[in-house]
Amino acid sequence: MVEALIKRNLKTHPQLNFPDYKSSRLRAPKNKKISFSSTSTEISGPVFNKDIIGKLDNDLTLNFSKNNILPIGHKIIVFGTISDQFANPIEGALIEIWQANAAGKYLHHNDNNTAPIDPNFAGCGRYITSSKGYYEFITIQPGPYPYPNRGIEWRPMHIHFSVFGKSFGQRLITQMYFEGDPLINSCPMVNSISDEKAKQSLISTLDTSRYNTKKLLSYKFDIILRGTNQTFFENRKEGL
Amino acid sequence: MSDIKTVLDETPFQTAGPFLHIGCLPNSINIEGVFDNDLGVKPFANKHYDKFITITGSVFDGDGKALDDIMLETWQSDENGVYSPESGFARFVPNSLTKKFNLYTLKPGFINNIDGKAQSPHILLSISSRGLNMTLNTRIYFEGDDLNNDPLLSTVKNSRNDVSSLVAKKIDEDIYLFDIFLQGDKETIFLDI
Repeated sequence: MVEALIKRNLKTHPQLNFPDYKSSRLRAPKNKKISFSSTSTEISGPVFNKDIIGKLDNDLTLNFSKNNILPIGHKIIVFGTISDQFANPIEGALIEIWQANAAGKYLHHNDNNTAPIDPNFAGCGRYITSSKGYYEFITIQPGPYPYPNRGIEWRPMHIHFSVFGKSFGQRLITQMYFEGDPLINSCPMVNSISDEKAKQSLISTLDTSRYNTKKLLSYKFDIILRGTNQTFFENRKEGL
Repeated sequence: MSDIKTVLDETPFQTAGPFLHIGCLPNSINIEGVFDNDLGVKPFANKHYDKFITITGSVFDGDGKALDDIMLETWQSDENGVYSPESGFARFVPNSLTKKFNLYTLKPGFINNIDGKAQSPHILLSISSRGLNMTLNTRIYFEGDDLNNDPLLSTVKNSRNDVSSLVAKKIDEDIYLFDIFLQGDKETIFLDI
């Protein structure tokens, strides 16, 4: 018995060719991707040891602050669980996040927006999930920002997520949005997903149960990675 | 016998955007002091350099322009075809002046597949960037290796006549060229892994 990945349902993912998102026009391949059964290559993957994670890596309000000066903006918690498609929590998953600051500016040489950088905010964090698949980041509410697309358009507030599960076939890069943001519905990157339920699954929800305990607004964003099925191969005996 | 289980939908992909270095390779853009090291700088930290090969190439868009605002990741076995979770992962970007990437790594060996058959030596390569709503995946095989019985290449041959976009060309001793074309006549074969 080996754990093979269940086939990816591309209907719940974005279309690669989505001209409303201008940058996709010259980059999205035109041919259909080739599907095949998992091999040993996709069902294996790198595993990252918890000792790579520094104690401030998941606190973006402190991991780039100078002289203990906090970055400007609204401090929030982003938390959730990582599980597979059969609801099994995934321990040891590496999550890397990146985001704009409160003014909607990235600390990056290619960001041409005129909004100010925040000298105490880099916008990067990482975490490795606990035994129940749980993760948590403390950060600043990212601002929306204008970008050139079909003329100038506005990105909704968002945080980028990169996730490594147990195998390279589970690798996921996505974005988390914020409940109630009026810019979500007109965003071409969001709308490159046609399945309404899939689109909604990228919108984090305000968790009011934490109002009193954490004294910070908390947004919950659960992530589901590919599941695996046990597969039996006739030319191999079980246990080998 | 199999249990009937509810299968949840996988969280959908979204583009990694133009600023992915902040989260994935912060030290490479001079965001220093947050993470000690960028991940995947060396795929095999404990192996001897004299065994390494170089894989070089560029990623071209539909206008034939070589891109540099992209991230490449690779996953591979060691020289004996063995995968191990501690090594074999690399993450890199093309040089901003030459637009070429260089992967300095072990040449993988023949790999035992889960069905007991062999796979030809290869490296899994993924590309994430602005304009890509999902990460793209392909494989790098090597010119000069026996590619006739590889299961994935056999599957590809069922629908495509030409698998050469998956094979790195040997251009010198221990140096291979692997260019990637996102669109056009030479569009690389991408995989639904």
